[in-house]
Amino acid sequence: MDSSALNSTELQNFLNEEKQKAMVNEMIGKLTSVCWDKCITGTPGSKFSSSETSCLTHCAQRYMDMSLLIMKRLQQ
Amino acid sequence: MDSFSSSPYNASGSKLSQEDIIDQVKTQLAQAYAEEFLETVRGKCFDKCITKPSSSLGGSESSCISRCVERYIEATGIIGRALFNQH
Repeated sequence: MDSSALNSTELQNFLNEEKQKAMVNEMIGKLTSVCWDKCITGTPGSKFSSSETSCLTHCAQRYMDMSLLIMKRLQQ
Repeated sequence: MDSFSSSPYNASGSKLSQEDIIDQVKTQLAQAYAEEFLETVRGKCFDKCITKPSSSLGGSESSCISRCVERYIEATGIIGRALFNQH
């Protein structure tokens, strides 16, 4: 195998896949940071309360809803 | 992530196979993700647990940090599942 392997479709596919994974990871990282700040207001306990868990879930979902809404607005 | 080599050779001068490149990229990506996660957790848990820095790390500060790390990992899982189990 020579260095033209760097241009192969297999490598391109791998890099595209890793790029997607990186974008997903970044989204999860950012959302966790933002939602942690919004939802975990006191000192961390040995488990989450059910309201903290719902808050985190809702936070992520509402953020995605908002993102969609913003895109729709911008397209008008 | 500035450690990616632009030249397809390893340290002893032999050409790297595509498999080697893929392995190196995977390793470096995993390290980058881990470091970024660690940096975030450090920030969050310092904010939550070290409210008044003193001359040493107290017992309650240490347990707070332990719980904080566990909770943050748990929160990451909750957010991940919320994003990919759409309503």
